Amino acid sequence: MSDTSSAASTPSTMLQTLSNDLAGAVASASPSMVAIHARRRIPSSGVVWRPGIVVTTHHTIQREEQITVTLADGTTVGATLAGRDPTTDLAVLRLNSEVGVPFPRSAGSARVGELVMALGMPGTAVTAALGVVSATGGEWRTWHGGRIDQFIRLDVAIYDGFSGGATVDAAGRLLGINSSGLARASAMTIPLATVERVAEQLLASGRVRRGYIGLGVQPVRLPAGVVSQHELSRNVGLMVVSIEEGGPAHAAGISLGDVVVACEGTPVSDPSELLGALSGDRIGSPVPLRVLRGGTPADVVVTVGERQRRTEG
Amino acid sequence: MNTAFNRGPALAAGLELDGLATLVRSFTVEIRGRSGPSLGSGVVWQSDGLIVTNAHVVRDQRPIISVGDSGEMEGRVLAVDQRRDLALLSVDAAGLRAAPIGDVESLRPGSLVLALGHPMGVANAMSLGVVHTITTRRGMPRYIVADLRLAPGNSGGPLVDIAGRVVGINAMIMGGLGVAIPSTVVRRFLHEVSRSGSVSFASPLAA
Repeated sequence: MSDTSSAASTPSTMLQTLSNDLAGAVASASPSMVAIHARRRIPSSGVVWRPGIVVTTHHTIQREEQITVTLADGTTVGATLAGRDPTTDLAVLRLNSEVGVPFPRSAGSARVGELVMALGMPGTAVTAALGVVSATGGEWRTWHGGRIDQFIRLDVAIYDGFSGGATVDAAGRLLGINSSGLARASAMTIPLATVERVAEQLLASGRVRRGYIGLGVQPVRLPAGVVSQHELSRNVGLMVVSIEEGGPAHAAGISLGDVVVACEGTPVSDPSELLGALSGDRIGSPVPLRVLRGGTPADVVVTVGERQRRTEG
Repeated sequence: MNTAFNRGPALAAGLELDGLATLVRSFTVEIRGRSGPSLGSGVVWQSDGLIVTNAHVVRDQRPIISVGDSGEMEGRVLAVDQRRDLALLSVDAAGLRAAPIGDVESLRPGSLVLALGHPMGVANAMSLGVVHTITTRRGMPRYIVADLRLAPGNSGGPLVDIAGRVVGINAMIMGGLGVAIPSTVVRRFLHEVSRSGSVSFASPLAA
């Protein structure tokens, strides 16, 4: 009867193997994917971190009450928000029962050109998109000041359900959490090390503790004479343009107009370098700053305080 | 740095893709209006000249159809199903290369798929991607949704699995995703056409 079988299909062993492997990777990862009902319209995606614990992106959680989570087997359970960190775009949910299969994690690091898939679950089924790792780099800070342990950008299309879903390698192992909210609208991966660090803090205390010293600074160029006179290694310093009344820097005697040139003995010329010394584990510890006050160097020791919670990141 | 790697598999995969493109080109047709530009693409369903495309591609009862190297032919519209967005055409030609038909059941999210078509006047444009999801209605596959770059002229053209078998007819782009009508739905359409008796076929319909 059939003409349709007359055209023999091209043998394509290599591609068929790859296709089977990719589909198999999606299937094996499915029990570790969830749909999160915490916004209007379509659900967002999440990843099972441990039984009963789901990691997702902060920006896709639009309400903090009456959250439910649907697993790949169709069961739906209630969940509470354990905490959220706008600076790294991560949020953690506690499910009302210890369900879900923890996502198998990759032991290696992402390589440029490596095949990856972005998995999502914006509904009842797991979705897949294929692409490659387009760029990698070292530690970086988001525009909200969050510390991300590794820069991983993907060349992969962003569809509904991307953010909060899983970036997986060709074997279906987790490389990180997808986010389109970190660097404009580009497809980024929040690496496992960051997820681990932030998730544990959110589970322990409901928030990520952030150190602060209560200073507003602005980079300023230093006169050549001052640079050579004090043997400074950089010609830019950070001028103090605001001080929080009663804050750590205020208590340590820093004044408006002081120019910070070093922090813990390391030259600083960009505000992010100062931020780098203020991670949550530094709260309560002394940080020596070198400032130029009226052109004369002075050493000031500031005790890192804890930044109070803000409603908007 | 892992510099010592085997180039063989990647090269072989590239050659396989090349072979697949040649195969799929052989059963993909371009559909034009009599005087106008390209309207879309179609799939040679049977070697005796039966061609399947989208209903929305057929705006002319006598479209011009280009079949690979066989040149241009005048087509005839045999049946149109607006609800399923499918149409059946025929050209007076025998010995065309019929598409091998695959099964949507063999696809899963992550399965590699290819599309070929004639988007925006570009002949035989191929794109490669994966199945994003398969939507169902009443337990039956309704649409194959693919992470794949399509353009309007891909309409009516084939979505094929990695063995080169047609698993769907590309019909829409939604939110950047390619949406194809599964081959199972095409078969149902052809079955209904053949049963209705409104169309007489030169050879029995493969259903």
